[in-house]
Amino acid sequence: MASITFKNVVKTYDNGVTVVPDLNLEIKDKEFIVLVGPSGCGKSTTLRMIAGLEDVSSGELFIGDKVVNTVAPKDRDIAMVFQSYALYPHMTVRDNMAFALKLRKEPQEEIDKKVNEAAKILELEKYLDRKPKALSGGQRQRVALGRAMVRKPAVFLLDEPLSNLDAKLRTEMRSQIAALHKRLETTFVYVTHDQTEAMTMGDRIVVMKDGYVQQFDTPQNLYNYPCNMFVAGFIGSPQMNFMDVTVEKDGDGQVLVFGDSRVAVNKPELNEYIGKEVVMGIRPEDIHANSNAHVGAPSEFSAFINHMEMMGSENYLYLDAYGQKMLARIPARYEFSEDTTVTLSIDTGKIHVFDKETQKIICH
Amino acid sequence: MKKAKEKKSNAIWSVILGVLSIAYMYPIVMILFNSLKAERAISTNTAFKLPTAETFAGLANYVNAINSQGFLKSLGYSLLITVTSVAAILLFCAMCSWYITRVKTKISNGIYLLFAFSMVVPFQMVMFTLSQTADMLSLNKPWNIWIIYLGFGAGLAVFMFAGFMKSIPLEVEEASMIDGCNPLQTFFMIVMPMLKPTMVSVGILEAMWVWNDYLLPTLVLDIKKYRTIPMLIQYFRGSYGRVEMGPMMACIMLTVIPIVIIYLAGQKHIIKGVAAGAVKG
Repeated sequence: MASITFKNVVKTYDNGVTVVPDLNLEIKDKEFIVLVGPSGCGKSTTLRMIAGLEDVSSGELFIGDKVVNTVAPKDRDIAMVFQSYALYPHMTVRDNMAFALKLRKEPQEEIDKKVNEAAKILELEKYLDRKPKALSGGQRQRVALGRAMVRKPAVFLLDEPLSNLDAKLRTEMRSQIAALHKRLETTFVYVTHDQTEAMTMGDRIVVMKDGYVQQFDTPQNLYNYPCNMFVAGFIGSPQMNFMDVTVEKDGDGQVLVFGDSRVAVNKPELNEYIGKEVVMGIRPEDIHANSNAHVGAPSEFSAFINHMEMMGSENYLYLDAYGQKMLARIPARYEFSEDTTVTLSIDTGKIHVFDKETQKIICH
Repeated sequence: MKKAKEKKSNAIWSVILGVLSIAYMYPIVMILFNSLKAERAISTNTAFKLPTAETFAGLANYVNAINSQGFLKSLGYSLLITVTSVAAILLFCAMCSWYITRVKTKISNGIYLLFAFSMVVPFQMVMFTLSQTADMLSLNKPWNIWIIYLGFGAGLAVFMFAGFMKSIPLEVEEASMIDGCNPLQTFFMIVMPMLKPTMVSVGILEAMWVWNDYLLPTLVLDIKKYRTIPMLIQYFRGSYGRVEMGPMMACIMLTVIPIVIIYLAGQKHIIKGVAAGAVKG
């Protein structure tokens, strides 16, 4: 059981490329943390630094209260599950799972007990004497999890463990991993580029871009209160709509103007932006066909439906609103057709306003 | 129509390749037949004749070959040299290739190129300086000549091992490090078992070469004391240069047998190993 702390951690590779410029992060004991971001954002490097597979160029990395910068991977009390499973192909499932325990010279009885216990939890009992190549992708991933489990590590590291599985299996394994976390009560650090995995599994999520932490918060807070346009766009599927709007004064409040549409808001933070352009962010589900569905005051606008996708319970409308592209998620009971102009409304209670230059949030 | 044409061309190819394979096999079959003939029936004129009731000598030539000229001693030397050399090549070259593939520096890259280059240097170019050096360093005994073989065999072995090694995912080795292995344990417990197909194919190729090699042991070893089997074959000459053809043929057959057995046993792995190195390298 251990916390993980990054203090001003820098990672520069031998070729001079700095992947992680300055990382400060505190992961609490027993927490399920997800590192998420696009490819090349430094999330895997961060995980590999925890594992000891990458050196820390400068700064301090703590596991518990011990600095582990120079500690070998085997002495960090961690276990890691890799994207490609990384099972030992010449060993049976049983030997794969028992390997670390054998190296620690644990008594054979103890090893058998732990392996059988893990196999039972992961439903691998039938496959214990098979070699990895005789297993399916999902089974292999479960063996990889089992191999990590039997060691009862202080920290569990998972590097995109589900990305090689098909969609159905991914959903299944997602809940298995979440259940495993509850059962083991260990610190989990999970890397993924899939925001759905991040949102469904993490106690807290670290959103990274270009080696910098953009926001570190709970899934709900990331979704409802993103700190900048990157987080707002990355978290949520389909992603948030961004519209260029101008702030105008309207009595005591302000209005966000785009085309003929005027979205009334009352945010003191916007006073200094009067007459300037800002970016309005609105999630596709906060655009409604029926003004009764709003939390805040509705604000109507008209848009042209370029294209429509039926998703079953809802339709995705690809809109053109005064020259700006938007996507709306509308329940399927409302009937729309392509190439028509419709009137929809924005829930002003769900608007996010961003600074156009810094891309940081102004107000929610 | 197309099928008939294809069939015809297949038949033509079968005939051409059949004739070629007979041409390749013919000398070996000839040696086999002659090894079963009486000495007097092997001459320039009669060498191509099949054994008849009068000329058939049974296994007499084989018995003669084994009993004269110290065949068993030579067999022992050949075995010792082949086993030690192949073992050294497999162990050291696998380790070296692991380093070259995993530690990416200019130096390791340079070393790899040197190994590849050593494959194209003809042995004849270095043989005289080599025999001098071997004498100076006392590497001229059957029990330490493997050091020389290691050097000459390393080019091909490193090339093949490195080719296969690149296809082993690094993550497997990282997983073993996290599981608690030190580098030596990672090599012997994880990497080496995964190298098995390449090990077998490199082993067979190198064993064939060392076992059949004539030039290097002739140059390096003390010819009076230590004769490997390929060296021995030429000593089946009686006085005044008379060649004992029967025992010589029998000796050649005896030499070929072990290597053919090894090859047949490991044939599947040879193809697997060579293909793995070539395709994924």
